[in-house]
Amino acid sequence: MILLQSSSKFLLQTLLNRVNNLEKAVELDYQWVEFGDVRYHIQVTMKNPQYLSLSVSLPIPPPETIFYGGLPVGALEAIKAAYIGIVQILDPPRDGFNLTLKLNLSKLPAQDEQRQVLLVKIASVREVVLGAPLAVVLRSLSSKTVSPNLNQLVAIVHRPKESFFVLPQAEKVTVIFPMRFKDSIDTILATSFLQELIEARRSAGLQNAPLCSWSLSPPPELKEVPAEALSANAGFVTFVIYPRHVEGKKLEKTVWSLSTFHAYASYHVKCSEGFMHSRMRRRVDSLIQALDRAKPDSEASMGTGQSKSFKGLSLKDSRTNSSS
Amino acid sequence: MDAATSRPAVVIDNGTGYSKMGFAGNIEPSFIAPTVVAVNESFLNQGRTPSKANWQAQHSAGVMADLDFYIGDEAVAKSRSSSSYNLSYPIRHGQVDNWDAMERFWQQCIFEYLRCDPEDHYFLLTESPMTAPESREYTGEIMFETFNVPGLYIAVQPVLALAAGYTTSKCEMTGVVVDVGDGATSVVPVAEGYVIGSSIKSFPLTGTDVTHFIEQLIRERGEHIPSEDSFEVARKIKETYCYTCSDIVKEYNKYDQEPAKYIKQWKGIKPKTRAPYTCDIGYERFMGPEIFFNPEIYSGDTSTPLPSVVDKCIQSAPIDTRRALYKNVVLSGGSTMLKDFNRRLQRDIKKIVDERMQATTARHGEELKVQPVEVNVVSHPIQRYAVWFGGSVLASTPEFFAACHTKADYEEYGSTICRTNPVFKGMY
Ligand SMILES: Nc1ncnc2c1ncn2[C@@H]1O[C@H](COP(=O)(O)OP(=O)(O)O)[C@@H](O)[C@H]1O
Ligand SMILES: [Mg+2]
Repeated sequence: MILLQSSSKFLLQTLLNRVNNLEKAVELDYQWVEFGDVRYHIQVTMKNPQYLSLSVSLPIPPPETIFYGGLPVGALEAIKAAYIGIVQILDPPRDGFNLTLKLNLSKLPAQDEQRQVLLVKIASVREVVLGAPLAVVLRSLSSKTVSPNLNQLVAIVHRPKESFFVLPQAEKVTVIFPMRFKDSIDTILATSFLQELIEARRSAGLQNAPLCSWSLSPPPELKEVPAEALSANAGFVTFVIYPRHVEGKKLEKTVWSLSTFHAYASYHVKCSEGFMHSRMRRRVDSLIQALDRAKPDSEASMGTGQSKSFKGLSLKDSRTNSSS
Repeated sequence: MDAATSRPAVVIDNGTGYSKMGFAGNIEPSFIAPTVVAVNESFLNQGRTPSKANWQAQHSAGVMADLDFYIGDEAVAKSRSSSSYNLSYPIRHGQVDNWDAMERFWQQCIFEYLRCDPEDHYFLLTESPMTAPESREYTGEIMFETFNVPGLYIAVQPVLALAAGYTTSKCEMTGVVVDVGDGATSVVPVAEGYVIGSSIKSFPLTGTDVTHFIEQLIRERGEHIPSEDSFEVARKIKETYCYTCSDIVKEYNKYDQEPAKYIKQWKGIKPKTRAPYTCDIGYERFMGPEIFFNPEIYSGDTSTPLPSVVDKCIQSAPIDTRRALYKNVVLSGGSTMLKDFNRRLQRDIKKIVDERMQATTARHGEELKVQPVEVNVVSHPIQRYAVWFGGSVLASTPEFFAACHTKADYEEYGSTICRTNPVFKGMY
């Protein structure tokens, strides 16, 4: 299975590098962007090499999502709890970002294991921030306390101007994703992948996984939501989460898997396309070889294996060819 | 304007040995990973027997197995610890030679390393100046069809290296790029941002050869380095202790007179028994890099030394560009990081040029006044990833986005559009 790690590989690498050479003064200034339009900026100055300032910008929230002070509900509390003792939240954040954290790396736990855990947590800042509203809802499910917004639909941003929906109910939480893809082939592949996913869920061995279903039109839970927020071209995926899915350590994993579900599906689609392309290349290759063999000797030397292109064989053709 | 132009472009320089990847606008790539893929071959074999009936099953199995691969350092580690993974090197001597492996490599660069959505960013990729136009089409097909990138530009590596070589505030786009990487060494003249294709020269030895030579010298002296480790150790020795000397005979004498000062020690741990070991590092410190200047000490046959190759390259370029080319010999690639490489190269080229000049003067007598030729080998701190850095700089100019091929162009005209990539402002 392809699973995206919750920590940013580059951020973790940079943090480790910094922590292992803390006495060395360096100048660092780096910007990058991750899936879902989450942007990062890190800075270390020669003057204060033990500090690292980390800024994060989140995807633009659609109108149905609630942000407090530029952050999703519960994010501020989540940050304070996760990075206690080493973090200072700068107000206002760096220009163009939703959040700037000033991390004091000399205050990290001395013990290796604890320190590693905290560094991974810092590198997972997007999960802490973007996953906060979902974590709040799922936490009350796991502790069986009544959610403050029982039976009220919560919209949570996960991609620029796109949100998914969470409905806290007694004893369960329903999570619904409108699935959108830009490319028409992606949309077809995604739709079939999502249906396969539902099938797979029904098979033996996955009885403990959350219930899930797919529908082309919005499920009834979303009847109040304005139509603009529901313009999905690859249908809707619904997961039903029960307390057993969010017990203890499972909570964090569930939050991450759900907040990155769209990225997961789209990664899967790209992998499928890659796989089909290699198949096509192999087939074109063997076709060319067959043609070469079939040619009269005089011409045989002309067609070399050079033209491995599968140009002209578009993905759509290959689908119909292969399944016919 | 599409939103992707507001985000930094992804810049990936796939070298024969190492791939440099990151986002435009930064000084350094985010990751440098060996260009290698570890594939689970058990699946590939079964994929070769196509049967329509179980296409669906095969497809799912295929997708699953397709995900069972690793790239970079993880690939190397995986192939060591498990026999079901085989290493495959997508690029050989600067050319992609396994497109399946290349596509997989890109897939993980994008999703696992950079963790970006390829639909969100324009991409700048690089290629060697010897790359055939068809190869650019395959790259375009993969980028546009598999990854749905909104825009793509395929830049020629030495041109980017030149763009990186700011000596003054003005960027000089005429010069000779000497790129010594891991698996290919090329000497490429560029005039006003255009590669002078007919004058490109290659040199048979590369960074890998330096490593092999060091490994061989150490082994011949009878040092005990565990054989499964010896190439890696030799590489690290090369990167840490090697330097380019000005005269081998003098250098040998120095070592013999003051061994304590020059001979270094390598401390390692045997991978199997975990027992510590040490090994002396002696003459190989300067003998390794010497293969560029006296190739016969390594390869036996008498091939032309690198400085003469540079000279031949410039001599074969149009006469009106030659002076400018001698004046701006730019280094690029990891192996040019060998200490004092630039000084030795400059000295040796200068020698060739001066000797030719003297011969001319001798033939024509004093009455013919020949202007002296300025030879300048330019070295700069980001030489190791000059190509990537040049890409990072160019891809952050506003002209870059306009010079890219877009997905819409691709859909309308097909992959042949990727054959040409216009030189744009910032490059000249
Ligand atoms: N400091 C150094 N000194 C000498 N060689 C180096 C140094 N750093 C890297 N290299 C060598 O440079 C080569 C990689 O260079 P690179 O330009 O990335 O290659 P390519 O682009 O062909 O993959 C490797 O052989 C590596 O050992
Ligand atoms: Mg290179």
